[in-house]
Amino acid sequence: MNKEFSADQAVKQMLPLAKKAGLETVWDRFEKQQPQCGFGTLGICCRICWQGPCRIDPFGDGPIKGVCGADADTIVARNLIRGIAGGTAAHSDHGKHIALTLLEISEKKAEGYQIKDEVKLRSVADKLGLPQEGRDLYEVAGAVAEATLEDFFRKDESIHCSWFDKTLPKERVEKLEKLGVVPGNINGSIAEIMARTHIGTDADPVNLLLGGIKCALADYVGMALATDLSDAIFGTPAPVKTRANLGVIKESAVNIAVHGHNPLLSELVCDLAAELNEEAIKAGAKDGINVVGVCCTGNEVMMRRGIPLATNFLSQELAIVTGALDAMVVDVQCIMPSLATVKECFHTELITTMPTCKISGATHVEFSTETAKESAGKIVKLAIEAYKRRNPAKVNLSDITETAYAGFSTEAIIAALSTVDQEDPLKPLLDNIVNGNIRGVVLFAGCNNPNVVQDHAFTAIARELAENNVLMLATGCGAGAFAKAGLMTPEATEAYAGDTLKAVLTAIGKAAGLSGPLPLILHMGSCVDNTRAVAVATALANKIGVDLDKLPVAASAPECMSEKAMAIGTWAVSLGLPTHLGIVPQILGSELVTKVLTEGVKDLTGGYFFVETEPKAAAAKLLEAIETRRAGLGI
Amino acid sequence: MSEQKENYFIYADPQKCLGCKSCELACGLAHSKTDLITAVLEDYRIRPRNRVVQADGVKVTLQCRQCEDAPCAQVCPSGAIGQRDGMVFLNRDLCIGCKSCAMVCPYGAIRVRSEAQGKGDGRVKRAKALKCDLCAEVNGVIDSETCACVKACPTKAIALVDYEELIQRSMEARAKEIAAVASGREK
Repeated sequence: MNKEFSADQAVKQMLPLAKKAGLETVWDRFEKQQPQCGFGTLGICCRICWQGPCRIDPFGDGPIKGVCGADADTIVARNLIRGIAGGTAAHSDHGKHIALTLLEISEKKAEGYQIKDEVKLRSVADKLGLPQEGRDLYEVAGAVAEATLEDFFRKDESIHCSWFDKTLPKERVEKLEKLGVVPGNINGSIAEIMARTHIGTDADPVNLLLGGIKCALADYVGMALATDLSDAIFGTPAPVKTRANLGVIKESAVNIAVHGHNPLLSELVCDLAAELNEEAIKAGAKDGINVVGVCCTGNEVMMRRGIPLATNFLSQELAIVTGALDAMVVDVQCIMPSLATVKECFHTELITTMPTCKISGATHVEFSTETAKESAGKIVKLAIEAYKRRNPAKVNLSDITETAYAGFSTEAIIAALSTVDQEDPLKPLLDNIVNGNIRGVVLFAGCNNPNVVQDHAFTAIARELAENNVLMLATGCGAGAFAKAGLMTPEATEAYAGDTLKAVLTAIGKAAGLSGPLPLILHMGSCVDNTRAVAVATALANKIGVDLDKLPVAASAPECMSEKAMAIGTWAVSLGLPTHLGIVPQILGSELVTKVLTEGVKDLTGGYFFVETEPKAAAAKLLEAIETRRAGLGI
Repeated sequence: MSEQKENYFIYADPQKCLGCKSCELACGLAHSKTDLITAVLEDYRIRPRNRVVQADGVKVTLQCRQCEDAPCAQVCPSGAIGQRDGMVFLNRDLCIGCKSCAMVCPYGAIRVRSEAQGKGDGRVKRAKALKCDLCAEVNGVIDSETCACVKACPTKAIALVDYEELIQRSMEARAKEIAAVASGREK
């Protein structure tokens, strides 16, 4: 293979095998799509009404307006914010499932689910200002669920979402309120985008972008509540040592991959896998059942249970190509329909579980909160049955795995810091940022994208930042990339961290009772967990009494791809963060929209986007953004 | 003197053309020797040599047909157009932008436009005739693998036609049909 597709060693190992077997992967399909449409690339194709489709000539030679009169600025802005609405819908649907499950738990209807973290639930109730006196755990759960669901359906949209006001610095809330972009309810914000982008409605690109910001902030709300309520139900993650990459799929076990996003499914599959372990052994798998994770479901169970991570988004098909994956269980988002084609060549059961996510060729086992346990049992049994059909001649296991530490929730980070200063846990972090031992904090987030070499930019940027003493957090498929690359380990800290960062991570690690430093990059969870990083930033901002846009904190999405990433990136900018994109966004057809998002928005929120596809240059720009913030604070 | 090869030309199948204009973008970018993102960010003047047109419900891309007795070559007062290397060759250094060629082209495939960056000194507009050169200027060869429009077409509607090869293939195909019919009769 001449072209480099991935920096992932296991992918490099498996891809030629897939090719040899005549199996098509995402990289083949990407090649077949070349060249991709220039109008779409620039965001100047409008398919909103049936007068069209219309496209604008980016070079002014042909049409500069669509049939209705919309110009490139309007079309680009509309397309972008529709993407944000898509992302918000996806995240908040996930959050709504969690909130509804909490409600059912409070009504003692959801067999198989409990409140595993009472402390977290009570702290959420406190945060939302809900009275707890005289209420038992279930009553508190009910009140939290009701208050949360109110953020989806609130009639009076002039009242802010509770999860918005109660989780962000006061100054930030006021700033965004002045812009008129604070969401009153999530569903309404999504619907509003669809309404204002309808033919003949909002045509002012700046007004459209402000609508996009409002919806993106509703996405923040949906994510924050999804994360915190998941913690209450399934436990708040604490540091855990595990392994990552395709080598976690074992020959002597029934291998079940959980793939998708929502822990409601994967947690129960893990429970039932433990219950039915003997059956797997009886079927001949001497190591019983081996649950592995893919994508963000992988991150969820990795964070809470130390379940090993098989791979991240782009290489999901290769998990099946190992020939030893007995079942892949999926729920929602980022599940390639092609899995159904790949598994045709193997014994693997592909099992869909959600009424809103079916794939033809897959086995559908409907999953609902009431019957979750039963469905999870059925899924595990399907995997054991499939194991019996496994063809040894088709098994091509990878031997590649790396150690990875996961589980760095906000609470876990505070807990580690409190071993240094119990009275004032944030003080050690703050002191080290002020004295420059830590120059700043960068959150890596987002997807994989075949437009670039898989995982490469993540690791290349991280090494540069590490050397320059930047504290790094990661979520989603970014976290997957780092875990697979062995960068979420104390050894990586020893190898790559600059002297002062290494000293700080070592001091905290030792105080927290670890033998060595904290990992170089802290795994904060799945993509829906990006709000954990905001919680850390908000705590820091509140402590020193500044707004988020003053902190030396930045975000980076080197391989952004999904609509969810569009929403996350936009709320990161709205909360005041310099936000790096390693993929050119589909907006360049409008100079105005490009300028607003990379420059103009700075005056409104303090945050801004910057695009840099070259990793070294991206790292330099992230460092520059951090140093600018430091200078602003006078540190 | 050896016999001259008939000209190559670009042909688009109207049955397959979706009118997406990907070929236009690809053509303009190839001749500016740049990529889409750079062209947009650096404000290039992108001038496709082809044009997607629609008439009577049929969509198709039109570009120079590389005529053997080319009217453009006949009328060019500065001798900028002539037969060379299997196509109708336009020497833009000699072009004065008189538009005679554009007027007589039966395909409307020649446009006189300026590709130059900047405004100039006000004495000349620097517009020159532009026509399909089969990407020979860009690649130095004529090859279907290197024609930008052929590569860009998502439905493979566009092809570089080698006239002699096409005729040969058509003859062979018909001959096979005739042979099949004939052998059927024998049986």
